[in-house]
Amino acid sequence: MTTERAFNAGQRFLLAAKGFWTTTLYAQVRSEFDTITHGKDVSTVAAVADVLEELPIYKYFAWLERHLQRMKYSGRYGLARFYDEHRESLLERLSTVSADDPLLELNPELPLPKYYTDVDIHQHPGGVWSDDIAGLVYEHGARSTTPLLGAAHADLHTRFTDVVAEGGTPASILDMGCGFGKSTRPFITKFANARIEAVDLSEPCLRTAAQFAREMGSNNVRFRQRDAGNVGFPDKSFDLVTSTMFLHEIPPGPLDSVFAEAFRVLEPGGRMVHLDFYYFPDAFARFMHYGHGRRNNEPYMQPLAELDLPKVLRDHGFTDIEIAPFAESPGAQSSQAWRFPWTVISARKPRHAK
Amino acid sequence: MISKAAAPKRPEQVFFDDPAIDRLMGIVMSLASEHYVLRDRVQALEEQLTNARLIDAAALAKAPSPEQEAQYRAAADDFARTLLEPLLGQQQSLGAAGRFSLRRSRT
Repeated sequence: MTTERAFNAGQRFLLAAKGFWTTTLYAQVRSEFDTITHGKDVSTVAAVADVLEELPIYKYFAWLERHLQRMKYSGRYGLARFYDEHRESLLERLSTVSADDPLLELNPELPLPKYYTDVDIHQHPGGVWSDDIAGLVYEHGARSTTPLLGAAHADLHTRFTDVVAEGGTPASILDMGCGFGKSTRPFITKFANARIEAVDLSEPCLRTAAQFAREMGSNNVRFRQRDAGNVGFPDKSFDLVTSTMFLHEIPPGPLDSVFAEAFRVLEPGGRMVHLDFYYFPDAFARFMHYGHGRRNNEPYMQPLAELDLPKVLRDHGFTDIEIAPFAESPGAQSSQAWRFPWTVISARKPRHAK
Repeated sequence: MISKAAAPKRPEQVFFDDPAIDRLMGIVMSLASEHYVLRDRVQALEEQLTNARLIDAAALAKAPSPEQEAQYRAAADDFARTLLEPLLGQQQSLGAAGRFSLRRSRT
């Protein structure tokens, strides 16, 4: 049995190592790259790869990105082992929200797409769907997704809802791919008078989301086990469709269905606003992002980044398409440390649309 | 809920020219993790013992006396030698030497 103290220490060590990776190691990779490529054309991912993949510093950088995450989940002091050892008490915690709770709608018959079950996303063993406690494991894992933000990670979501609020106050919100509800919670708080529906494929995540919503005392939200490509709500039933870190988890074909479904359920004039990874200042950032996708078991990151998103959205009928970099924390965009290519992707269903 | 069937084993991603380095890095990081967890436990023990007035934290932090220093130095030398001696690549018992391969074996 792993003591809580040892588990915390093991995770603290990994987070500290990730902090070094994020700042010092990344800066050194960038610095060596800039020195070597000074005056040369490195405007493509392939050109960046030609340089970086030969550098020892990059090899260590890539190794650590892969394996610090592996250790976070599967190491001796990893989440998988520790949570498994505490399974009984965790299930007890989740049992306070029953399957017929008003906060929750489950569908055990919902088929899970192959693209979803074929990959253990984030290196989470068994994925975020196959184990009853996977939602709680995911929740813990997500606390250190952005190591520099630490406890301020939640601020990222709040900052996103602030951006959404600049475009008006929605009355009915659909949160696609809500996971364990971290993205939904700031919407619940910020738009307390709105009706909020949150959908996800994962039963364990939805149970966790409902549990947290119960602990928050929320009564304006329902977490439903539905596919974002086929949400089952009537046409024109929301004035805001949103998602956070969701689009990059879907391959292009199913992503097309997601956009089609978003358009269908939006009221004419309604908005679609996603927070995801799409804006790259240079080929170096793009190279790093593609590598991150591979190393973190997120194979659809690169296809999303390569998509002509404005065209895809126009083809679906959206207008007022805006793709803008997003600062996850004050001053983040001028940081020299590694960071995700945060992007707000927004569009509108025309007022005359059917 | 039915658990996902055990996934077939796949080879891990490789980042170094010699995959042996990838695996060695894994061992190094596991040891570093164990080392930190132990350090954390020693710190917890020291705090508890100090609070219970069973040890003197100031004495624990004090530089060793010259006699102790000599004793510790010898122990440190021994530790460093044991740790780094394999770098010399020298046999500890007489026998066949150098790289080994059966690729040219005739049977």
